[in-house]
Amino acid sequence: MTSRAEPALPQPASVRRRNGMVERTLAGISQAMEHALFAEETARRAGLLQALDPRVKVLAMLALLIAVALSRSLAVIAGLYAVTLALAWASAIPLGFFIKRVWLFLPFFTGVIALPALFITPGPPLAQLPLGLAITRAGATTALFLLLRVSTSVSLAALLIFTTPWNDVLKALGVLRVPDAVILIFGMTYRYIYLLLRTANDMFLSRKSRVVGRLSGAEERRMIGASAGVLLGKSLHLSSEVYLAMQSRGYRSHSHTPSVATFVMRRRDWAALFIAALIAAAAIVLGR
Amino acid sequence: MLNSPAYMHIPDGYLSPLTSLILFILVLPFWYRGVRGLRRRINARNVPLIALMAAFSFIIMMFNVPLPGGTTGHAVAGALVAIVLGPDIAVIAISIALIIQAIFFGDGGILQIGANCFNMAVVLPYISYAIYRLIAAGRPITSRRRVVGAAVGGWIGLTVAAFFAAVEFGIQPIFWHAADGAPLYAPYSLSVAIPAMVIPHMLIASVIEGLVAALVVLYLQRANTPVLEMAERPAGAVEAEASGSVSRLRWLWVGLIILVIATPLGLLAPGTAWGEWSSSQLANMGLMFIPHGMAALENLWGAPLAGYDLPALGNTSLGYVLSALVGVALVAIIAWLFTRLFASAQPHEGQKEQ
Amino acid sequence: MNNETVFELRDVAYAYEGKQTALEHVSLSIQAGERVAVLGSNGSGKSTLLKLLDGLYFATHGVIRAYGQQLTEAAFDDDAFNFAFRRRVGLVFQDTDVQLFSPSVWEEMAFAPMQLALGRQEVEARVDDALRALRIEKLRDRAPHRLSGGEKRRVALASVLTLQPEVWLLDEPTTGLDPRSQSWLIDFIAEQGQAGKTVITATHDLSIVDAIAERVFVFDESHHLAAQGAAGDILADNGLLLACNLSHAHRHRHAETGEEHTHPHSHPPAHTHQHAAGSQGSTADVQSH
Ligand SMILES: Nc1ncnc2c1ncn2[C@@H]1O[C@H](COP(=O)(O)OP(=O)(O)O)[C@@H](O)[C@H]1O
Ligand SMILES: [Mg+2]
Repeated sequence: MTSRAEPALPQPASVRRRNGMVERTLAGISQAMEHALFAEETARRAGLLQALDPRVKVLAMLALLIAVALSRSLAVIAGLYAVTLALAWASAIPLGFFIKRVWLFLPFFTGVIALPALFITPGPPLAQLPLGLAITRAGATTALFLLLRVSTSVSLAALLIFTTPWNDVLKALGVLRVPDAVILIFGMTYRYIYLLLRTANDMFLSRKSRVVGRLSGAEERRMIGASAGVLLGKSLHLSSEVYLAMQSRGYRSHSHTPSVATFVMRRRDWAALFIAALIAAAAIVLGR
Repeated sequence: MLNSPAYMHIPDGYLSPLTSLILFILVLPFWYRGVRGLRRRINARNVPLIALMAAFSFIIMMFNVPLPGGTTGHAVAGALVAIVLGPDIAVIAISIALIIQAIFFGDGGILQIGANCFNMAVVLPYISYAIYRLIAAGRPITSRRRVVGAAVGGWIGLTVAAFFAAVEFGIQPIFWHAADGAPLYAPYSLSVAIPAMVIPHMLIASVIEGLVAALVVLYLQRANTPVLEMAERPAGAVEAEASGSVSRLRWLWVGLIILVIATPLGLLAPGTAWGEWSSSQLANMGLMFIPHGMAALENLWGAPLAGYDLPALGNTSLGYVLSALVGVALVAIIAWLFTRLFASAQPHEGQKEQ
Repeated sequence: MNNETVFELRDVAYAYEGKQTALEHVSLSIQAGERVAVLGSNGSGKSTLLKLLDGLYFATHGVIRAYGQQLTEAAFDDDAFNFAFRRRVGLVFQDTDVQLFSPSVWEEMAFAPMQLALGRQEVEARVDDALRALRIEKLRDRAPHRLSGGEKRRVALASVLTLQPEVWLLDEPTTGLDPRSQSWLIDFIAEQGQAGKTVITATHDLSIVDAIAERVFVFDESHHLAAQGAAGDILADNGLLLACNLSHAHRHRHAETGEEHTHPHSHPPAHTHQHAAGSQGSTADVQSH
């Protein structure tokens, strides 16, 4: 484990006090910004995955994701999850944080869908519960499949994001034959998400500061209409201004914007790619 | 990993890779259409326009929207973006927002990008937009009907999207299960998945989707009408053909229904051949298995849509396809009734642009 | 200094969406190698003027020529013309969030030379030079949206510097800069001037005018060119500045003498203003509307 201080962990929604729409939206916004800041910070650390070519990481992530999805063995998926933990550890990502992050923020589906599966799935009962409910063996298997698959997949994606600057992730998509123009759009989207996040943040903060007491639901809804409308207007205005800024520097509709990626595959990159392919293949074969 | 904005985001692990792949392939023509449309109609402007609208969709998904009664939730904003940009371009903008959510924030699986884009970036904007146009019926930009159209469009659009997601889930236990019969992916049969997804959406998420679209349309009518005109202007973001062309919209409905059929069919084909699925085998795979204790609950859910399993049919696979069709037909009929209802309210002006 | 005319405007008007007037009856000309300032209060049309000069908007009335060629939409449809023009003229936008749209500083700076189809090595060399010239080597791999206001300004300049333009159009470049960065920017403009570049700066900051321009165009709030002349003369004319809402205080320091004056409240409005011709002896006479 690294000795570096863990960054503040954004609070999951359920932990926060029940609040008005403005507070909750503000909390969501700052959560997104903290996540991004945290990813940028860990991506700069010295670690195993940080030292690898982003293209290798993208390909390896996809291969392992597919292995997780195809595998029909719980043990194999659990093994892959252990691999992600080892990789996080080797990449200077605080392990406790990494685990919490994945499990606390498991998508809504996982809890809501996996739980009833315990009971609904038919099969011999494993444990009898009140109300005539029984946890079935098949139900437990199914729930475990869901939980393990989701957490392993989310961990794989998180590994990529926590060890690779977003810009490099984008550039690496070039290996998947994603066209340059699309990569340009993705980069720009990400960049302007920040600007709009900050705009939305300021908008809500300023409204919050002007409001004494709690807003009624109707007032909140009106505010949403106005805030979203203002943001939409601003987005459209920005888009035409940005277009001018691009034009001014020679951009044309048929312009070729070559990708500026200058990644070089070194020996360790090839080795990593080979190992990832091996693990994925083994997982698929063993998990048949 | 974010406080999940909308619970339509399917994570990895819920759909078999084959389902994900098929849905990915189904989205491709829509992406192609969107990109080609952009190139032809608004050429170079497309890059920043799409980027900013994708960023906008992303932000709107973070807005916490209160419903009367205290429930809160998040909109996908697919209806809103479709109303402003037209559905072809909305497909691209929402897809990009969803992809960034999947890769960067872990919302929705990376392998499920196709599935999530299909539900939220294709089905939602096209259906919402079709209904919005039908209800707006070419009425002036500041007409009340546009607000109603946005609300109903968003509501039906997301409900239909939820239905598609439910079908995608519901077919999982039919085809994929472990040796002991435990489902490998989403475990619920169509009869559980459809009501479980569709009913809460109808009550909450879809209401929010419609509400956000309507609120913003209302705001734009007061403060920024040119934005609302954008999708209508021939030179604007969307081709002129879109203006009130009902036949075109009808065509869209047909296309969507074909897709519904194609989804389960596409899944059947690569598995075992049709005939080899005995109904008992299917039954073993979690089609209609409910433990005694859950039966009552299941009946409660299943009651309004009891027909979904059509167990009387000899070929149960066909039963699934049919039940999927029935579901879509139901939603389509609701949508159609709504639009008729609003169209007949003001019959004279309603005819104008059609 | 050569006497080539870079820009020539004849009775130019521009209205947004055909309704919202932003400029009206503007006639002026700018020679190669000149440093000029475009002065005007908020909303007077400075940004619009720079966008017109950069061939981003096209005059709704009147004629704009750059290097003798009329700027029209059709002209820019011609790739060769577009290429030649974009290569010579660079605009730094007022809003750095508009200017900086790329995911990293390096790419931002490489954008223009790449569009102009320079070779990879040439692009890299230009970016490296510009990074060094603006002393922003450390920002090379940073994301523009993570930069401070001052850093953003420098990167915005850098993103045009890699174009190595002959004509700089700077839209309120000192906004949000601390005094040190501001004086650095003034030096930058002076250097470009000494290198024979034409530098056209839009600003409402009177304190920097005589440092960045020999000649000044003043726009009033009705979007007309109220006056033009040597920087010293314009700055000395408080009536004009007051009328154009550029000087709010009653007291004002004269640019050359440093004397303080107290101007009466009832200074006659000076929409009409006469000036001696500037050092070029060109068309810097009267512009009265
Ligand atoms: N995109 C736009 N659409 C409509 N009106 C605009 C737009 N940009 C500027 N204007 C209007 O044009 C006038 C001149 O604006 P601008 O050139 O930005 O002034 P300045 O740069 O001197 O502050 C103002 O009245 C402004 O409101
Ligand atoms: Mg301006």
